[in-house]
Amino acid sequence: MRLGIAVDSRMCMACYCCFTACKDEHCGYASKLSAAQPMMGQYWIDVREWERGDDSRHIKTATVPTLCAHCQDPACAKVAKNGAVYKRPDGIVIIDPEKSKGQKAIADACPIGAVYWNEEYQIPQKCTMCAELLDDPEYLAYMGDPKFKVPRCVEACPNHALYFGDLDDPNSEISKAIAENRVTPLEPLAGKETNVKWLNVPTVFLAGTVYYPKETEEVVIGAKVKLTCKETGETWEAETNYFGDWEVEFLPKNKNIDVEITFKGYKPVKCSAHTDIDHYTGMTYLEKA
Amino acid sequence: MAEKITHSVCVGGPIAIHTVDGVIRRIRPIVLDDNDPKGWVIKARGKEFTPDRKVKPAFIALTEKNRAYSYDRIRYPMIREDFVETPDGKNRNAENRGKSGYRRATWDEALDLVAREIKRLQATYGKETVTACTGSHHSWGLVGYKLSTFARFFRMLGYTEIKDNPDSWEGFTWGAPHTYGYYWRLGGTEAFDLLEDGLQNVETMIMWSHDPDTTRGGYAGSESTLWRHWLNDLGVQFIYIDPYNNFSSVKQADKWFGPRPGTDAALCEAIAYVWITEGSYDKDYIAKHAHRFDEWADYILGKGVDKTAKTPKYAEAETGIPAADIKALARRWASTKTMGGSGMRGGFGGVCRTANGTEFARLMIQLFVMQGMGKPGQNIWAGTTGAPMDYNFWFGGYSDPLSQIANQPIADKTAVNCVIQKLYRPNVPDAILDGHYEWYGEGFCGGGIDLEFTEHIYPEPGYNKVHMFWRYGGCFMGTMLDTNKWVKMYKSPELEFVVNQDIHFHGEARFADVILPACTNLERYDIGELCNSGNGGYQSHSQTGNSWQIVIFQDKAIEPLWESRSDYWIFAQVAERLGFGQEFSEGRTELDWCKRFWEKSDLCEKISWEDFTKKGYYVAGVPEEWERHFGFRWFAEGYPCDTPNHKPCQEEGKLGTFTGKFEFVSESLLYWAPNDEARTPIATYKHSWEGHHSIKARKYPFHLITPHPRFDYHTQHNESTPWFWEIPENRVYINGNPYLVARIHPKKAAEKGIKDGDMMLLFNERGSVLCVARVTYRVEENTIHAYGSSGIYNPVDPGETSMDIGGCVNILSPGRLIGDMVPGMAPNSTLLDVCKYEGPIPDSQCFEYKLDAVAKDADPDAESCKEIIEGHGFEKIQAKVRASYLKKGAAAR
Repeated sequence: MRLGIAVDSRMCMACYCCFTACKDEHCGYASKLSAAQPMMGQYWIDVREWERGDDSRHIKTATVPTLCAHCQDPACAKVAKNGAVYKRPDGIVIIDPEKSKGQKAIADACPIGAVYWNEEYQIPQKCTMCAELLDDPEYLAYMGDPKFKVPRCVEACPNHALYFGDLDDPNSEISKAIAENRVTPLEPLAGKETNVKWLNVPTVFLAGTVYYPKETEEVVIGAKVKLTCKETGETWEAETNYFGDWEVEFLPKNKNIDVEITFKGYKPVKCSAHTDIDHYTGMTYLEKA
Repeated sequence: MAEKITHSVCVGGPIAIHTVDGVIRRIRPIVLDDNDPKGWVIKARGKEFTPDRKVKPAFIALTEKNRAYSYDRIRYPMIREDFVETPDGKNRNAENRGKSGYRRATWDEALDLVAREIKRLQATYGKETVTACTGSHHSWGLVGYKLSTFARFFRMLGYTEIKDNPDSWEGFTWGAPHTYGYYWRLGGTEAFDLLEDGLQNVETMIMWSHDPDTTRGGYAGSESTLWRHWLNDLGVQFIYIDPYNNFSSVKQADKWFGPRPGTDAALCEAIAYVWITEGSYDKDYIAKHAHRFDEWADYILGKGVDKTAKTPKYAEAETGIPAADIKALARRWASTKTMGGSGMRGGFGGVCRTANGTEFARLMIQLFVMQGMGKPGQNIWAGTTGAPMDYNFWFGGYSDPLSQIANQPIADKTAVNCVIQKLYRPNVPDAILDGHYEWYGEGFCGGGIDLEFTEHIYPEPGYNKVHMFWRYGGCFMGTMLDTNKWVKMYKSPELEFVVNQDIHFHGEARFADVILPACTNLERYDIGELCNSGNGGYQSHSQTGNSWQIVIFQDKAIEPLWESRSDYWIFAQVAERLGFGQEFSEGRTELDWCKRFWEKSDLCEKISWEDFTKKGYYVAGVPEEWERHFGFRWFAEGYPCDTPNHKPCQEEGKLGTFTGKFEFVSESLLYWAPNDEARTPIATYKHSWEGHHSIKARKYPFHLITPHPRFDYHTQHNESTPWFWEIPENRVYINGNPYLVARIHPKKAAEKGIKDGDMMLLFNERGSVLCVARVTYRVEENTIHAYGSSGIYNPVDPGETSMDIGGCVNILSPGRLIGDMVPGMAPNSTLLDVCKYEGPIPDSQCFEYKLDAVAKDADPDAESCKEIIEGHGFEKIQAKVRASYLKKGAAAR
């Protein structure tokens, strides 16, 4: 058994239910597995949100609940002394609140900033995947059904943005969710095996709008847009919709992309964009061929 | 040390409360068990949709524990330090209200003083000298709600009632009934069973000034978010129109349009222009169901009095949206099955709270009418209500007169107010300060269109003015208009005596002479249904905003903290002192009253009182083949109305307008208000009296919009829940003060030299508010966006109309109502300017910290506010309560 959480960024509406439920569980209460989370300053599940786009004509946000990844081979465990960080048989990574005292290196080692340093107690702290509740036979026993035993954040999520379960069981809800979605590890965790999986976290989009010559005041529906990355040889195709809009998502980051817009009877339009960030390439007005 | 689990329901949704040894340990969603009924199944486009087996609160509900042990709890009855009980009500240092500190009082001392003052004032000036007003929904439950306990007390006492304005509906209340009736729903539409219709048929959703994940179906928590994900997965296109690319839009929109605030009505006109000129509207439907359509069409085409065709180019100049895009929008709408609306119940969105609010509401409805409103997939439905429900199960909601302890049959005797004088909430300060005020309408005019035109004057002939104000729950500084007026009012000696009864030390509490500490929902008994605002009331069947219909026994989880008491106890004590204690209570305890609601509803036939209180909730299942009554279908197809909230006119197949049809020229306005310039018989786009065409725009070039808040509910949560101050899109905690985030477009920010995260001052002639700048492309170029309803109010000079650092942006909004005959508020028609703030940043100056002195006086070991916010105060409070609980328990054993 390998317990994990899958985070579906597409479904996350940044409603902060997970954030609040986690604080409700851990702020001010210690357990065998963790010291009390301070009332302010730590976010064991943090809703990281960034704006995507450089023009009001095409703006989105990415919302990525970020918690300890419960790595298979945790960077924090490597720097920990006297076994202060350990991995349980179920895969949950725990920082021992006693043994970790004074070991700021544990917090600093986390590649995604999910381990917090408690200045007052001089300990590193993070998500326990609510292992203390999963272990407790008293907790939620009244429902009599172990399937209801899930971490607080997962229980509180109204939007199917968080899944919990056994990664080793291909029929578990979490395994199915992972199989059916685009798995998008957080950049600093690239190449690492983790028990928390991120799904559908966006990379970069390019988008634009195509119009007939300006004086006509009409959008072009059905213009073909071809994107080419010379460096990798990849191409992408899109078509303008009923608003004349086109968009290509999940482009590779930091590449030069050539954009070619074609529409029968009109001159093709070419431009290029660098995918350092999400770009709106602009309102393109076609000219008669 | 077993955990006790009780349940409750609040404005953020239903919750399960885990309590250990007399202290609340955690707050969870309610997860349904196998004994609860099966959920409905909607079949649509080859798929089946059924709700998850948990009832989904919003994040605000998950903080109820923290709101109970919050730093700003009013712990003891308090009396203003420099209050003097003069026998004539004069020389009471009224000018120091808002500034002075407080001393602790005993309950007897405070209650005796309140009773003495009521007697003195009413003997001197008459019953009408007392007035009282509540915030909306600072608690949930049919016993504690303002129309129950509060109303019972004050109606028995006799008082000048303050009429609420329909502050979430405005444009819809005062506009929509003149187009399609539905005054009994305050201008909102009927969305019965439209979730199924939408899932089966709709192709395009128009979300106009609508942020469903923020307004959350009113009180439905997060219940409907998944429905919109379902629609998304079916390929339904979502088009959002809002000057702010709101939180639902930015994650979900296929297209976002950001019109200049207050110009939405011009966009409506241009869409109609495209349809009329291209012939792309439902002509048969219009011929059959519309009244005087051609006259309106002439106006749109430029054949009206103004001789201006409402072309997309004309709308481009007003809204800033390119004409080509407007045409594309109009064509997508006309060529696909389209549903949508403004705000969570079809009407509600921020645009209805502009100077143009009534005109927008009417024009938007007219657009939906032009595409055959009521036909499958063509309707006003905003994706937030209309789930299947069992219409044959009745449990009362808060606005049902049948489910209020003020009335029969819940009470044996109905409480009746003997005073006819009234005040109008937005203008209470004007009335008190000027001694005179006149206005139209009854506020909530659900009883008939004519109620919009009743005439009121204060003081009523033969009546005396008001000299005592009893405020109960919430903070109007954050929700009303030009709210520095409230400061001036409180400092006026006209108010000889001010009482404030609240749970938390809100911005308005500090202006009171006597403060009475109420307890939270978790510390008393109550009973209520999730999101039920009343099946006979103005939001009938609002529970269809939930996936589950659930009635909850709001058990007392813990004893009232410190010396707080339930609202019911407080009113009963004052009633006792005034000699009507028995009449008030009818000998019932709060638990007895709860049982009355069970007994007088269908609940008693479904579950015994013992089982209900033991389990804590009851889920009313939906039969497998449930009755369907699709909203408006009856009208579109021409049969008598079959929806559950109908009126006699509808039984004849007619709407609630004069003609029974959709009125494109309003006969009711021609009859009652033919010369009203703000709301003309033909709905038209009008320049705002405070907008970009105003002279004032030369000095204050930005529009401020203050929509209903995402990170709060009215004013309830932000002040009491410091965790929310750590949400970067909400507030930023600097030097012990939580500053509100205000949003500005990058281009304008650059012109002003403002960077993201800078302190930004919002100001106009009415006041100034210090915020933190969020520089974002999500906001229209000429717009400053900052959420309204700030629960935090912190002027740097307490008690003065000085710069506020609490984020109380309503200080900046105009006091002016929509029109002379349209008494709705228009806070989204505010002009202001902004600048980078480089002055001193105050250090920990929250007024709430004044509570520390009283707390320390009562208990030298008491935790300070700051310690509760940032340190171990919360843990210490819980430890103390636990120790005292265990000690009492030992004594009992």
